[in-house]
Parts: sequence; C-alpha cells; structure tokens
Amino acid sequence: MTDLLIIGAGLSGLLAGVWARRQGLRTRIAATGLGATHWHAGTIDALGYLPGEDAPVRSPFAALTRLTAARPGHPYALTGEAGLREALAAFRTLLEKLGLPYGGAANPDENLLLPSPAGAPRPVYLAPAAQLAGDMSRPEPYLVVGFQALRDFYPTVIAENLTKLGFRARAEFLPIELITDRRDFSTIDLARAMDSADLSRLANALKRVAAPGERIGLPAILGLRRHGQILAALSEAVGAPIFEIPTLPPSVPGLRLTTVLREHFERDLHGRLDLGMTVTDFHAEAGRVTWVASRASARPVRHRARRFLLATGGILGGGFHSEPRGRVWETIFDLPLTAPQKRSQWFRPDFLAPEGHPVFRGGVRVGPDFRPLTLAGEPAFENLWAAGNLLADSDPISERSLEGVAIATARAAVTSLINTDV
Amino acid sequence: MFNADTWLPPEVSLDLCIKCNICVSYCPVAEATDLFPGPKYAGPQAQRFRMAGQPAPDLSVDYCSGCRVCNEVCPNDVNIMEMNARARAALVAEKGIPLRNRLLGRNELLGKVGSRAPRLANFALHNPVSRVAVDALFGIAKEAPLPRWSTTGTFVDWWEKHYPHRLISDKKVVYFHGCATMYYEPFIGKAAVAVLEHMGYEVIVPPQNCCGLPMLSNGEFKAAGKLYDNNLRKLGPLAAEGYDIVGTSTSCTLTLKEEAPHLLDRHSETTQALTHAVWDIFEWIRDHEDELPRDFIQMEMVIPYHPPCQYRAHRVGRPSMDVLALIPGVEVHESHARCCGIAGTYGYKKEKYDIAMKVGQELFSFILEEEEHHHTEFNACDSETCRWQIEHGTGQESRHPIEILAAAYGLYDLETRTTL
Ligand SMILES: Cc1cc2nc3c(=O)[nH]c(=O)nc-3n(C[C@H](O)[C@H](O)[C@H](O)COP(=O)(O)OP(=O)(O)OC[C@H]3O[C@@H](n4cnc5c(N)ncnc54)[C@H](O)[C@@H]3O)c2cc1C
Ligand code: SF4
Ligand code: SF4
Ligand code: SF4
Repeated sequence: MTDLLIIGAGLSGLLAGVWARRQGLRTRIAATGLGATHWHAGTIDALGYLPGEDAPVRSPFAALTRLTAARPGHPYALTGEAGLREALAAFRTLLEKLGLPYGGAANPDENLLLPSPAGAPRPVYLAPAAQLAGDMSRPEPYLVVGFQALRDFYPTVIAENLTKLGFRARAEFLPIELITDRRDFSTIDLARAMDSADLSRLANALKRVAAPGERIGLPAILGLRRHGQILAALSEAVGAPIFEIPTLPPSVPGLRLTTVLREHFERDLHGRLDLGMTVTDFHAEAGRVTWVASRASARPVRHRARRFLLATGGILGGGFHSEPRGRVWETIFDLPLTAPQKRSQWFRPDFLAPEGHPVFRGGVRVGPDFRPLTLAGEPAFENLWAAGNLLADSDPISERSLEGVAIATARAAVTSLINTDV
Repeated sequence: MFNADTWLPPEVSLDLCIKCNICVSYCPVAEATDLFPGPKYAGPQAQRFRMAGQPAPDLSVDYCSGCRVCNEVCPNDVNIMEMNARARAALVAEKGIPLRNRLLGRNELLGKVGSRAPRLANFALHNPVSRVAVDALFGIAKEAPLPRWSTTGTFVDWWEKHYPHRLISDKKVVYFHGCATMYYEPFIGKAAVAVLEHMGYEVIVPPQNCCGLPMLSNGEFKAAGKLYDNNLRKLGPLAAEGYDIVGTSTSCTLTLKEEAPHLLDRHSETTQALTHAVWDIFEWIRDHEDELPRDFIQMEMVIPYHPPCQYRAHRVGRPSMDVLALIPGVEVHESHARCCGIAGTYGYKKEKYDIAMKVGQELFSFILEEEEHHHTEFNACDSETCRWQIEHGTGQESRHPIEILAAAYGLYDLETRTTL
C-alpha cells in the first residue's frame, strides 16, 4: 500500500516526495508533466516584492509581517517565519548534498540582487553557486559575453541596462564554434555540448576579451552533467569570477534543479515517479479519499494510498481550469477556490500593476495543518493535503515568491501529514 | 474513460502549448541530430501552418521517432507525437510512400512468407551480402537488428498442438499474440499462456491479424485502417461479450486500444468496446493481483529493466515492475533511459540508423554498467523491437517480463526460452 501519493511533479511535488521518502513513507508521484522550474531561472525566490510596492524587499523575513498583514491567508502566514527559515535551510542542505550547491547573500537574512536576462535587478533569496558572482553588491565591473547565433540571450541589452543602473558593464560576443559545430541549438543543447567541449579554447577566448578585474557573465549553459566541474575549471583557467545569467526558456538552471531532485527521488530513494498521468477523478468514503484515478489509454488507472498531497500548481501549473466567462475550478477534487469567478475581475487594467492580478492570487484555502478546507472551514478530507502554488493568497508573479512558497509549504505539508494518524 | 463526444483531434491541442520548451529539452532525437528541430517546432508550432490543400511547411517531422518523451514531460497535455504522426501521414498522402516503408509496414506479410521456410529465409536475409544489398536497394540499414524467423514453427502451430491440453476453466481470457510472437518469438506466447493458465484462466486465441501499427507509423493510414477493421470484426464480438483481451506486445495492445482509433478517427460503439476490452498483459495481471498465485521460487537475480516507450502512451505506469517486485529475490533496476532508439521501424531505416543508435546510448550504457556491477545475464523489456535493439546495442540478451514471471513459477527456462 502506498503511504503517500503526490499529485504534481513541480518543485513542491518533487521536494515533498524527497522529504517524505526520507522519512520512510512509501511515496509515489503522479503528474501530467514536469513543472515551472523549466521556465524559471533556477533560483529560489522567497519574497522579492511586497504588494503594491516598487522597491525590492531587502530581507524576506523582516518583510513577512507586512506581507501577512496585507494577505492574512498567505501560505507564509501558515508556515510562519520559523517554518520558512527551516524549509529554506533544509533545501540548501539537500542541494549541497546533491552536488548542486545554492548560496545566498553574506547576511543570511537578506536577498541577493542578481542581473535578470534583461539586466534588471532581480531579488533572489538563494541562487545556484554558478549565479552568485553576479551579485550586484560586488564591486567588479561586468563583462557580459554572449555567443553569435544564440537566440534567447542578449548581452548588449543586459550591459546597457546594467550601465543605466550605474554599474560598469560591457558586452562581447564569441563564436559559437567554441562550444559546438551544430547548426541549430537551444540553450539545453549548448549545455550538453559544454559537457564534452574542450574548455581550454573557450577559456582562451574569454581571456582575450576580458579586461583585468572584470567578472564575466555568460548565458546559463555551463554544462548539465558536469556543471560543477565546468564552472570551477573555467573560472580557474580564465582567472576571473565567472557567473551564469539565466536565459529565455528552456532554463538550464531549472533543468539541473529538476534533474537532481528527480534522480535523487527515483534512484537514491527508490520513489516512483509517473509522468504523463493526468489525475482527473477521485473516490471518497466517510470523509477519506480512497483512490484517485488518472486518464489512460483504455480505462482510468486507480491509485490507492493512505494519504494524498495535491501539488498541481494552480492556474500556472494546470491544477485549475477555467472557462472563457471566468469560472475557475480545481480540476480533481473541485475544492473551493478563492479565485474571482468572473473574467472581468481576473485582471487589473494595468498589465504591470505592482499589486499583481487577482486571478493569480486565487487558490485553495488550507488550514494550519495544510489540509484543504471546505467553505465551512472544515478539512475537506481527512487524508488530503495541499502544497505549492495552488494555495490561496500568494501571487508568485508579483511577489517573486514562487519557489519559497513551494519549498516552505511542501515541507510543512509533509511534516503535517507524517504527524497525522490516518 | 474515453468519450467520443468530448474527443478532439490531436491538432486542437496545439492551443494548449505555452512554448515552455520542456519537450525540446527532453526529446532524444532533437538531442541526437540537427535534422530534427524538436517537438515544439515540429508539433504545435508547425501545426499552425499546416492547412488542408497547402504544401507541408516542414518535412523534418519525418524524423520524429514517435517515442512520446515529449508527451510525457509536457505540462499541458499537448498531443505532440500524435500531431507529428498525422502530419507525417499527410506527407505520405502528398508525396507517396517509399518502397522500403511499404516493406517495413508489412511485418505480417514478411512474417508469413519467411515462416514457410524459416531457415532459408533467415539465411537469405541475415547474410552479410544480402544485408548490403537490402541496404542499397531498399534503404534498410545493414547493421539494424532485424529479427529471425522461428525455426520451430509459429505460435499458432504450437497453440494447435497445445489446444487439446489447454486448461479449461470458467475464468476465460483472450490472448492477442501479434506478429512478433506469431512468427519470430513464439516462446513469448507460450510463457504468457503458461502464466495465464497458472492463474487459473482458460486462454482463448481467436483468429486475428496484424494490429496495423507499422503502417500507422509509416503514415500508411488507409492500409492500417483495413487491418484495424479486420481485427474489429474478429475481436469485437469477444469484447462485446465482456472478455478481456490481453497482449504481450505493448505496441499491439496500444494500437488496438487507442492509437488506431485516434489516428484513424474511428469512434463507433464497437471500437470503444474493443478499446475497453484490451489490456497490456502486465496491466491486467497487476489489476488481478489477488488472483496471482504466490508459489514463486526464490530467484536471486538483478534485472535491468527498460520500460518501453509505448507505456508512455498506455499511461498505466510500469506494471511489469510492480508485478516482478512480488517475486522473492528479484531486484528490478529501472533504466530511467528515454528510449532505446529503434522506435518500431525507425531505427531500421538507413538514414535513421545512426540517430537511433545515438538515442539508445544512454540505455546501452546503463545495461552495460549493470552487467559490470551485478553480473547480470539478462535485461528485460516488454516490447520486442526494443529487446532486439537492446541486444544489438549491448550484446546482452533481453527477455520479456512475462518470461521472467513464468520462470519464477518454474514453468519456463530463461536460458533456452522453452516452457518446462
Ligand atoms: C516562452 C516564450 C514565450 C514567448 N511569447 C511570445 C509572445 O507571446 N509574443 C511574441 O511576440 N513573442 C514571444 N516570444 C518570443 C518569440 O517566440 C520569438 O521572438 C520569436 O519566435 C522569434 O522568431 P524567429 O523566427 O526569429 O525564431 P524562432 O521562432 O526561434 O525560430 C527559429 C527557427 O529557425 C530555425 N533555425 C535556427 N537556426 C537555423 C539555421 N542555422 N538553419 C536553418 N534553420 C535554423 C530553427 O530551427 C527554428 O525553426 C516568446 C518566447 C518564448 C521563449
Ligand atoms: S512541453 Fe508542451 S507546452 Fe511546452 S513547448 Fe512543448 S508542447 Fe508546448
Ligand atoms: S515523439 Fe519523441 S522524437 Fe518525436 S518529437 Fe516527441 S520526443 Fe521527439
Ligand atoms: S524500445 Fe525504444 S523505441 Fe521501443 S519503445 Fe522503447 S524506447 Fe521506444
């Protein structure tokens, strides 16, 4: 018998899988496909902006009380500051162990500011080691190096925008043949090519274009399998700090993050991950979910488990569905949503409104134990939990809190479901 | 459950695509060759430009192997592979079918002809001279792992001999053997019958013909439709009577369940009844786990296992792993590799052979590492062409999980592939 069935293989689903497995639960993950990490920067954004404010948040922890005052149902109000801190620390320890270390600002209470793919400042709580030398609090001037014919990375734009912000920055281009002689490539292809490329040619070319004292920003393509070695070897050979700047999707840092978590879950912890399985139905008896069913070729497959964790990512992840007139619903259990049910109320008139758009804040309301609630405020089912970005009251886009919410709520939900007798 | 009223052709799903490129990041063919731009480009992106009566916007879709890695990782349920398959069929309709693809599509005919004089046929096809000639004349790669005809008779030859001795029972199940078991590997069918009878089921082997998949994957939709309709005539009545139909070839069962009706737009009540009756044999065994005898012998073996691509389309998880895990002493190690490369008939084609071998590399390395670490003798995979490709790529023999299950009951010898 499966102890825990997790629905969704995004960051929250994968991490919940890892943490539950490590606690000895027989855990399975079923998901339609892979998640948002593939089009995000691979960083851990905990809280970058407060609702309605233009200036980035300096310390996500110090800003928590103001966030939860404005949004009392926010998932961080449920995890509390201690829960958020503990979960982020656990994530960091885990990724260190998996050979993809993450780091943060010198003051562990504060965010880093890193250059975005457009050269704008991006508040980030933890970043992969490869992005750390981009930190805007460091003194070195920026040299942003791109590759001719690489779509999806724009060094000149980045350097110009950094200059406007008051940094010393310039751009250079190198021939793509230093990495690959293939005709067409995505950033993923380049990262794979880097795994077997002759680094000395690239290092020599970088030395030729770099001025003494500069740090070098490259598109995030520094290897997939051998990423750590490539970063270290290249920095040493060039003799300058080297860092990655995220590109347009597909996101290599996001793919690295998904890959290490997935492989850890499946290979080290012998968890089962089934993709291509869209859960569409469930059965409950006496207030308990007994099985959920996924769509298959001839007949639905039933998945029985003691506990279920819903981590389907909401409107961005596919866990919610909507119709043109504006009704939005949760696709499996039809849990009550806080999302506005009229299309005219989904968006603010201003596309870049700092308050964000109401539809992205709508979601599943859960109790302090992370079990989804009915409209009457009771747990909808005794053995159903929810985590990640389907939760109500966080707006991952305007808050820059996508990964922080995923990590903190996955951790909290796993703790709760392990401590609940079912 | 499939519902004809809400079914939409795969092309409609192009609007679900958010251009996230996840599919491109995982497509093994796009990784292996520049000739294929990747699922997003060949699928939902090119689909916008495919109009009835207009020339195809891009011929590269022919390089899609059909492995469905894209469908599996896509977060938005875009039917990329099906879109590609239908675009290829449109190309075939526009440009005609090369003789080679006609040949590869006629697995059953080749099977029948070769079985008349299997030793001669094996020699005729498998000597170096003829392979060079077939390569040059038809474009079938001379290195590719073509199967060998059974020299001990076809599966149905055996079944006719077994028929009087078969288990008679109130519990009955229908067996679909497919072409590979019929002509090349009758022992797979024998192992399946042994296990099903051990479970207390009377096995019914009705007249049947090729499921039509090789033609579907080469874009020959008309000919495939004929085969499908023939099977519908032969199997439909059994399905209507409520019999389960199980198959040992993951591709045949998939074709009968879903691939043929979806690609060919067949959605009558009888096709739906057939869809609902068909099971992959391990999907069925897992579902009937309480009827599975536990009189296993202790097996002490590590089995490197590759779930074939077709399971991605069955969307039933990895049922053979679930069942083999019940055998004491058996440790199944999953490959986690994307594809063996062969993808039905893809890797047989001269221009695609190298791509297929490159795609298979991650699987071959896994099998060879397992051999080194655990001294494994066999690996396992549910699909026949995959097994042939794995053997070709690694030199290690491959078995169907049903052979392993039959061996675990002491009914089958894995070494000689004979029933005991
Ligand atoms: C997630 C995402 C969302 C986006 N959303 C929008 C949007 O809503 N609106 C918008 O306007 N833009 C959007 N864009 C940007 C937009 O997709 C690109 O700007 C646009 O597609 C670029 O078009 P293109 O034809 O120049 O290149 P691409 O669409 O990238 O196509 C390039 C084509 O050229 C081929 N090719 C490349 N090199 C060679 C070569 N050497 N020889 C032969 N063929 C080659 C490639 O295989 C490919 O088929 C989005 C981009 C992304 C990643
Ligand atoms: S994975 Fe799906 S949604 Fe993403 S680009 Fe591919 S087809 Fe589109
Ligand atoms: S089916 Fe396989 S080869 Fe074809 S596009 Fe999808 S992943 Fe690539
Ligand atoms: S063996 Fe290969 S081709 Fe066959 S299904 Fe598997 S992965 Fe695909």
